[in-house]
Amino acid sequence: MKAAWKLSSAALVLALSVNMAVAGPEVVSGPGANPECFAPWSADTKHFQWQARPAPYRIAVVNGFVGNTWRIQMIKTAKAYAEDPAVKDKISEFKVVSTGTDAPAQLGAIEDFINQGYDAIITIAVSPDGFDRVIRLADKNDVVLVPFDNVLDTDKVMQVNEDQLAMGRTWAEFLLKELEAQGKTSGKILEVRGLPGNSVDRDRSIGINEVLDASGGDWEVVQVVGNWDDGTAQKVTADAVAVHGTFDAVAAQGGTTGVVQALLDAGHPMVPIAGESENGYRKLVAKHADEGLKGISIGQSPGLVAIAIKAAISALEGNVMPQLISVPLPVADYSSLENGVNYWTDLPDNFFTVNEFPPCGVNISGPAIMAQSEEDVK
Amino acid sequence: MTHKAGWKRWLFQNIGFATALLLLIVLFLTYNILHPRGFSSAVAIQNSNETAAIAFVAMAQTLPVLLGGLDLSVGAVMTLTNCVASELLNGSPWQILFGMFLTLLTGTAFGFMNGCIVVYGRIQPIIATLATGAIAIGLALLIRPKPGGNVDDDLGWALTNSVYDFADTYGLADGGNAWWLRPFADIPVPIMLIVFVAVVAWVPFRRSVTGRTVYAIGSAEGAAYMSGLPIERAKIAAFTLGGFFAACGGLYLAIQTSSGNADIQQAGAYTLNSIAAVVLGGTSLLGGVGSAIGSLVGAMILRVISFYFRILDIDPLLQPLIEGVVLLVAVSFGAFRTLRVKNQLDLFR
Repeated sequence: MKAAWKLSSAALVLALSVNMAVAGPEVVSGPGANPECFAPWSADTKHFQWQARPAPYRIAVVNGFVGNTWRIQMIKTAKAYAEDPAVKDKISEFKVVSTGTDAPAQLGAIEDFINQGYDAIITIAVSPDGFDRVIRLADKNDVVLVPFDNVLDTDKVMQVNEDQLAMGRTWAEFLLKELEAQGKTSGKILEVRGLPGNSVDRDRSIGINEVLDASGGDWEVVQVVGNWDDGTAQKVTADAVAVHGTFDAVAAQGGTTGVVQALLDAGHPMVPIAGESENGYRKLVAKHADEGLKGISIGQSPGLVAIAIKAAISALEGNVMPQLISVPLPVADYSSLENGVNYWTDLPDNFFTVNEFPPCGVNISGPAIMAQSEEDVK
Repeated sequence: MTHKAGWKRWLFQNIGFATALLLLIVLFLTYNILHPRGFSSAVAIQNSNETAAIAFVAMAQTLPVLLGGLDLSVGAVMTLTNCVASELLNGSPWQILFGMFLTLLTGTAFGFMNGCIVVYGRIQPIIATLATGAIAIGLALLIRPKPGGNVDDDLGWALTNSVYDFADTYGLADGGNAWWLRPFADIPVPIMLIVFVAVVAWVPFRRSVTGRTVYAIGSAEGAAYMSGLPIERAKIAAFTLGGFFAACGGLYLAIQTSSGNADIQQAGAYTLNSIAAVVLGGTSLLGGVGSAIGSLVGAMILRVISFYFRILDIDPLLQPLIEGVVLLVAVSFGAFRTLRVKNQLDLFR
């Protein structure tokens, strides 16, 4: 009897040590697969490689908070992409759950999908910390965990995001270019910021201001807080115009439709503007570009979820992947706006337009996403 | 014969709890049958981890509800203690133990403060705790303006897994392989912790004069006063114990996530879910009827409902709607007693 116990425990120890041996991805040297799409964040981003396994895969998306347009569009995009002919055959089961802003529920959902034997789990983390346990479990069970958008403060998982700093810089560079075309090298710029205390808001603002500072021009930047929300942004912009008179350019992190609306309402002259990717904003730029509303539109796309799914599939196929993937910024400006291509006059204002990532072969058009929604209602 | 009658009487008096328990058993068994790895230790561990924090917070909410009030600060106290724990749970084993003690003390003291404000300030619990809840969140943000923390890794792993892993992590009982540990080896540690807290804190309290006074106050405060029961002591004790349970939730959350996060929305969600769990567990919002054990069951039902979304194919945007409908049906089960009241006046109880 005692021998049996010893034997079984020895077997258990063996099983455990074997488990540990195959745990998680191997750290390898780059470059990774498809570098135009899966660009490493920086030169010292490390690369991961999982053991290749045969398709099709079971993939789950564990969302946290649900209830704003961006998140709902993200979920619709995920479903639309899973039906895309390019990946449809590689996915045998696809599940999406939203847990709300409840860390244990999100961690629990991830752990549940690990237990169910899913191959990959995509998630928007509710908190940048606290995922150590599920990362350990995912590695132990060889599950590919891919946080995107709100990424984790760790280098132990593969993550997907857009470079917010670069976004801020691109905005400022565009504004400087337009102002130079007008012959201006100094003036007043309105910066409409996002949610305070958020790293995205911080990085975008740093990007904008460091380019302006480096330009050598004499720029006075007036900052207001718009919370990435149309209503709030419209109000604070109206207030800023009332107090400061006219601005030479506007850099808005979000709620850009509201910002432009406030300028129109105040009879403010149409000036160069940098903003997010709301459909309403792009409509307004297309309409008023001739009057001087020379706009650039870059967005944190809900389509990031598609890139995250694509990255997970690529990792499952055994490709070398960067630990932190920088998705190319989807940029459009007044000269490239085209109705039905990168904005839609027949779609609502709060629709997020950027869902196309040509280097990744991901292009889910607005109507395709909205079609998904109509299906849901039925 | 008398035995059978006693059993029947218990059922009649605890019909809410009994239906909740039955509902939980049915839901949980079905879930495990549908789950590809149902009835395994891994699933039990996952389930208990997800449930632990809300279970503690639901127990915390039970006491003010038994008094006939509501505590809107339970989620906030959980968040506060979560942030305190995220600062203290590291270093030597003694430092960690002391950190746990301080964490629990923080919550208990906060509950005591709530009790004093309600009793001596003569303010309705719902308003008093609305204010103190905001204070707790403020303190939490002060301690941890950004999410993070440094909770001991081994502690996090050991307490969120099975008893075997616990022994294995700390090299106890031959690294978890001792023969006497076998029968318990697969039980998740969080379950043991919840049962331990319930048995050590709730059961003795329930049986004490103070505990019975809490029920008496909820039933008829005037009568309790006329009977010479220690009303003020019972109220303060109820809020204090509530604070302790909320602190247990915060402490577990810190261990589970190895970090603290002063998340206002999460605090609000936990407060509301705790009320739902209390009602699901058969405790009357009017006070005087129910138990913390019932709330434990209620919290589990609340969680099990959402477990289903991961094994069934339900449209993600319909999930909140379905969750709400199931919740409404579950709560309605508790209202069955109204169908059998003999006197209409009973409905007002």
